[in-house]
Amino acid sequence: MDQLPDFWRTEVFHPLSVHLPIALLLVATAFKLVSLRSDGETWNKGGSILLFIGVIGAWISVYTGNLADGIVSRNLCDPTVLKDHENASLATAWLFTAAVLLEMVYVFLKKSWLKFLMIGAMIVGAGSLGYTGHLGATLVYQQAAGVYVPSDDCEEFE
Amino acid sequence: MLFFFASCESTDAVESGTYTGTVDEVEAAKTEIYVKTDDGKTLELYFTEETSLSRAGETVDFSVLEEGMAVEVEVEKVGKRLDPISVEIME
Repeated sequence: MDQLPDFWRTEVFHPLSVHLPIALLLVATAFKLVSLRSDGETWNKGGSILLFIGVIGAWISVYTGNLADGIVSRNLCDPTVLKDHENASLATAWLFTAAVLLEMVYVFLKKSWLKFLMIGAMIVGAGSLGYTGHLGATLVYQQAAGVYVPSDDCEEFE
Repeated sequence: MLFFFASCESTDAVESGTYTGTVDEVEAAKTEIYVKTDDGKTLELYFTEETSLSRAGETVDFSVLEEGMAVEVEVEKVGKRLDPISVEIME
């Protein structure tokens, strides 16, 4: 008789940690775009806070993803998708990290081109984030990455 | 960051068979190695319970593997996944 696996498996911490930074970084990008208006200081500050928290979350997600990688890769039918997901996630994390660094430099230098460069990095990062998420969803919904597949007769649930 | 984009890893799916090359990277925590084959392909190999690792005909521990070692690997292609059947250290 099959037994249900423990829910708190190592690979489960990745989906648990990944969705908050996705939301924060996308909303941060939207806030920064709105802040380009002349009266956008509140949006700018809000975007900065979300960006900082989101970047921390992004690197935590990279860490948990690396933990999951060693477990799920052995069961995937196409691990090259996982490699693309990993590469895209690192590109995303670095782009938003660059945005944070540009923001910090902007605080001291107050050069408007720094702000545009930062928002540019965030827009590209948001695109990269979407692609990373798409690959992650592909891994889960096409290859059942990290997913327990119940037996045909569902005996383990009885 | 430019360094990152320049160093993005990509891997190749090859047909089942035996390949020679060098160990490009060892990830001990995942019992995983990357092998650069003589024809320039990069194989990402996760050891399974069935994978045999040997040197001069004798079974050796995974911890023996190091970057730069010449190896001969026999792999089975399952979908696009490469399951290592055997890894022979050539030196």
